[in-house]
Amino acid sequence: MSSVGLDVSRADGPAKIRGAAQYAADVELPGMLFVKALRSAYPHARILRVDASKAEKLPGVAAVLTRDDLKGKNAFFGPVVKDQPVLAIDRVRYVGEVIAAVAAEARDIAEEALDSIEVDYEPLPAVYDLLEAMKPEAPALHANRIKAQSFPAKSGFRLQDEGNVLSRYHVEDGDVAVGFSESDEIFEDVYTSPKIQHAHIEPHATVAYWEPSGKLVLYTSTQTPSSIRTQLADLLGLPQSMVRVIVPFVGGGYGAKTHPRLEPLAALIARKAHRPVQWVLTREEVFLTAHCQAAVVKIKTGVKRDGTIVARQVEAVYDIGAYALTSTNTGRNGGEVSGGPYRIKHQDLTTYCVYTNTPPTGPYRGFGVPQVCWAYESQMDDIARRLGIDPLDLRLKNLVHEGDPFVTGHNLVSVGISDCARRAAEAIGWQRGAEQCPRALSGKVRGKGMAVMIKTTMTPSNSSALVRLNADGSAVLLTSSVEMGQGTLTSLAQIVAEELALPIDRVSVTFPDTDVTPFDQSTSSSRTVFTMGGAARQAAHQIRQQLLEIGAGVLEANVEDLQLINGFLEVKGVPDKRRNIPQLFQARYGAAVGNMVGSFDNQTSGGLDPTTGKGKGSVFYFLSACAAEVEVDTDTGKITVQQVISAVDAGKAINPRQCHMQNEGSMIMSLGSSLFEEMVFDNGQPINSTFLEYMPPSMEDHPKKFQSLLVETPHPEGPYGAKGVGEAGLGPIEPAIGNALANALNGIRVKDLPLRPDRVLEAVQSAKEHGA
Amino acid sequence: MKIEIRTTVNGREMEAVVKPNQTVLEWLRDDLHLRGSVEGCGVGVCGSCTVLVDGRPVSSCLMLATNIEGKQLTTIEGLATGDELDPVQQAFLDHQAFQCGYCTPGMIMAIKGLLNSNPRPTEEEARDYLSGNICRCGTYSEVLAAVKSLSEGNGTKQ
Repeated sequence: MSSVGLDVSRADGPAKIRGAAQYAADVELPGMLFVKALRSAYPHARILRVDASKAEKLPGVAAVLTRDDLKGKNAFFGPVVKDQPVLAIDRVRYVGEVIAAVAAEARDIAEEALDSIEVDYEPLPAVYDLLEAMKPEAPALHANRIKAQSFPAKSGFRLQDEGNVLSRYHVEDGDVAVGFSESDEIFEDVYTSPKIQHAHIEPHATVAYWEPSGKLVLYTSTQTPSSIRTQLADLLGLPQSMVRVIVPFVGGGYGAKTHPRLEPLAALIARKAHRPVQWVLTREEVFLTAHCQAAVVKIKTGVKRDGTIVARQVEAVYDIGAYALTSTNTGRNGGEVSGGPYRIKHQDLTTYCVYTNTPPTGPYRGFGVPQVCWAYESQMDDIARRLGIDPLDLRLKNLVHEGDPFVTGHNLVSVGISDCARRAAEAIGWQRGAEQCPRALSGKVRGKGMAVMIKTTMTPSNSSALVRLNADGSAVLLTSSVEMGQGTLTSLAQIVAEELALPIDRVSVTFPDTDVTPFDQSTSSSRTVFTMGGAARQAAHQIRQQLLEIGAGVLEANVEDLQLINGFLEVKGVPDKRRNIPQLFQARYGAAVGNMVGSFDNQTSGGLDPTTGKGKGSVFYFLSACAAEVEVDTDTGKITVQQVISAVDAGKAINPRQCHMQNEGSMIMSLGSSLFEEMVFDNGQPINSTFLEYMPPSMEDHPKKFQSLLVETPHPEGPYGAKGVGEAGLGPIEPAIGNALANALNGIRVKDLPLRPDRVLEAVQSAKEHGA
Repeated sequence: MKIEIRTTVNGREMEAVVKPNQTVLEWLRDDLHLRGSVEGCGVGVCGSCTVLVDGRPVSSCLMLATNIEGKQLTTIEGLATGDELDPVQQAFLDHQAFQCGYCTPGMIMAIKGLLNSNPRPTEEEARDYLSGNICRCGTYSEVLAAVKSLSEGNGTKQ
C-alpha cells in the first residue's frame, strides 16, 4: 500500500509548530463583544429574583441575558433528554450554573458588570453523594424526562420516571443464582472511581454571530458540529440549514467538548446584542462545565477452583451531576461490558445513572468503561491470588476468542485480546507464577501487575463523506470530523490517497463547516477512522470506478485489466499504456475541467433493545491490555510508576505512529487518574478547580519505560481492516497499576481511586498486620 | 489609565500603550494579534503561554505588560526566519512532538529557554525543566526525543 499503514507526517505540523494553528478563541470578528457569565454560588436553590437593570446601563455593556429573555420561548436542550436550560430559570442545580451573562466591549467591562446583577436565592436541600441520591427521600433534581428528537430507538437503557435515577441499563445471560451455586469460590467487592477532569488545555470557546439573513454562525471548540447544529436549530426554531457550525483546530477534547456547552447561550446573547460575541471560559469555569462521572461498582464473581469464571453480577452507579447530556449512554456503555472480556456463562449486569447537585458530567475518554474495568480487573487478581493461578494465565484461560458470543448476544469479530495480553506481559518481563510472591515490606518495594479491557463504540451511528477529485489530480475530502489532536486530517487523507492511488500531498481534508461538510455523528468514541474513514473510502471508491470506466474506453481495455498507480491509470503489465488524471478528465469533458465527485452516507447498524439490553452492542470492539510496574515507598506511601506497557488491537493501523501517540495519550492520562487526579467538593462547593490544586501529569510523572504496542487483527468492516485506538488503551491502566501495587503489598488492595499516599500507607499498615 | 512602554518584540523595537492590569499574554493576543501564545490555566502552571523574556521562559499570563519595559520579548512567531524554521521547530516536526498543538508553542519556547541555559541537557534535566509545560495529549516521549536530538550536537540558534 502506498499510504495506508505508513507513518505519514502530519498535515497540521507546520501550522502547529509555528503557533499558526487557529483555535476558536483566535477567531476575531469586526465589532466582536466579549461574554462573561454570572454563576450560582449555591448547589441547589430556588431563584427568587434576578435584576440586571443596573448592569445593562453600564458603559460598554451591550447586552445582558437573563431568564427574562427566555420567557415564552423554548429554553431547554440536551442530546438525549432535554433537561438543561440555556441559563437558570427558576432553580440552580449546581455551584457554577449560569444565571446571567453579559456581553461587553471588553472582557474586564463584562466581568465588572457581573457584580451589578442582583440575585436572590432560596437555598434548597441538596444531594451530593450518588448512593444518597438514589434514595426515595433524596431531594429530586428534575421532575421531567423530555426526550430529545435524536433519542435513539435502540438506546439499550430505559429512562426512569422519577427520583434522581435518570436511566437504568440491564442485561443478563444464563442464571447467576445457578452460577453462584455451582461456584467453588465467591468474591464480592466494591470499587470506586472519583470525579476527574478532562483537563483539555484549550478551554471551551465559542464565537457566535447572526447574519442579516437570520442565519446563526458559530465558530466553536466542539467535537460534535452536527449535533450542535441539530440541537441549536431545535432550540431556536430554525431550519438546520440556518445554523452554520464551523470548527477550527480543537485543543484537546477527550469527550468534554461534545454536545452544546457554550453555544446556546452564545447564540442568544449575540442575537440580543446584534453583534458577534466571543465567549472563552477560564480554567475554573472549565472545571464547572464538564467532568468524568464518579462511580461505585459492586461486583460479585463465582469461580471454579481451576480458574473458570462461572458467574458474575455487577451493579454500577454513575454520578452524572446535574444534567444528563449523554450520561445515559455512558451508563449503558459501561454496563454492557462490565463483566469484562471473558467467557462467562452466567452474567447479570446493571448500571444506573444518577443526578446529583454537582456540575454536569460528560463523555470522558473510555465512556464509562474505565470505572467498571477498575473493578473487574482488580478483582481478577484477587481471584488469581486466592486460587494460586498466575494472573496472566487466569486471564488467558477465560478471555474471549474470535467468534465467541458476547453477553449482549452477538458474536465478536477482530478479537486480538489474548495477543495484547501476551505481548504486554512479555514486554514487561512477566515472570509466570512469581509476580504474586510475598515481599518483605520495608523501604521501597516493587510489584508488577496487568489488566485487560473490552469496550464498545457508538452503535448505530452515521458519518457521511464527500470526495472531490479535481482535474489536476488533486482531491479534497469534505468531512465534519474534528481535528482535535488525534490526526484526523492525516489519517483520513491517507485513506482517500490509498483508494485513489494518489500521492498523499495531493489530498487535503477540510475542517468541519456544516454549511459545506456533510453530517457526522461525532468525533468521539474512537469512531472516526472506522466510520468516517469507511465513508471516505467508499466515496473515493466511487471516483475510482469512474476513472476506471473512462480509462477502459480510452485505453480500450477491460476495467479488470486496469490499475490506478501513483496518479496514473494503466493497463496491468503494460506500463506505457497509461493516462494521468488530467488526461482522463480531458477524455470525459473535452478539457481538464470539472470535478469527479463521490459521496457516501455510512450508517452503521445495531443497537440494544431497551428491555432486554441485548442486540448488536457495537460495530467493533476495542480490546487492550496493560502491564505496569510500580515502586512503593512503604514509609511515605508514594508510588513511582517504573514501567507502563499498553497493547491495543488497532485492527489495522492506518498511521502507526499516530496510533502509538494516541495510545500514549491514554496511558499518561490514566496514570494521572490512577495516582492523584480527583475533583474534591465540600457540600457541593468545588475545592480544587484550578491547575494549582488539580495538576494533570507532567513530564516528571512520565515513566522511564513507557511503551505502546499495536496488535493488528483486521476487522472485516473497517477501512483496510482498521478499528480505532483513541481510547482503547485507557481502561486497563488503572487496574494494572492497582494490581502492581497489590502485588507489592502482598495482596492488600486499595479499592478506591486515586491511589493516594494516605490510602497506600493504610494498605501498607494493613499488609504488615496481616503478617506477610 | 494607560502606560507607555518601550520594548522589543521578536527583534523589532516598539513603543506601545498598555493598561496597568494587562498581562503580556493579553497584550500579545489582543493588541499585537500574536495568537500563538495561548491561555491554558491562567495561573502560570500549564506553560502554554510561555514566551522568552531576555532569553528566559516566562508565563506570559502572569507577567504584566508594564514589566517588559526595556526587555527583549520572543514569542513562537519570532522563531522562524521566513521559510527557515528554528531547530527546535524542526525537531518537533521530525519527531512529531505534538498532537492537538495547543501546548506546542509554549513547549517549544520552554525548550528554547532550556537550551539557552543548558545546550546539552540530560534527559533528567529536560524532564525537570519542562515539568511546567503540560501536554494533556501525552506527547512527552516525542518531546523528550526532540530535546535529545537537539542536545546531541544538532545545535540551536542563539
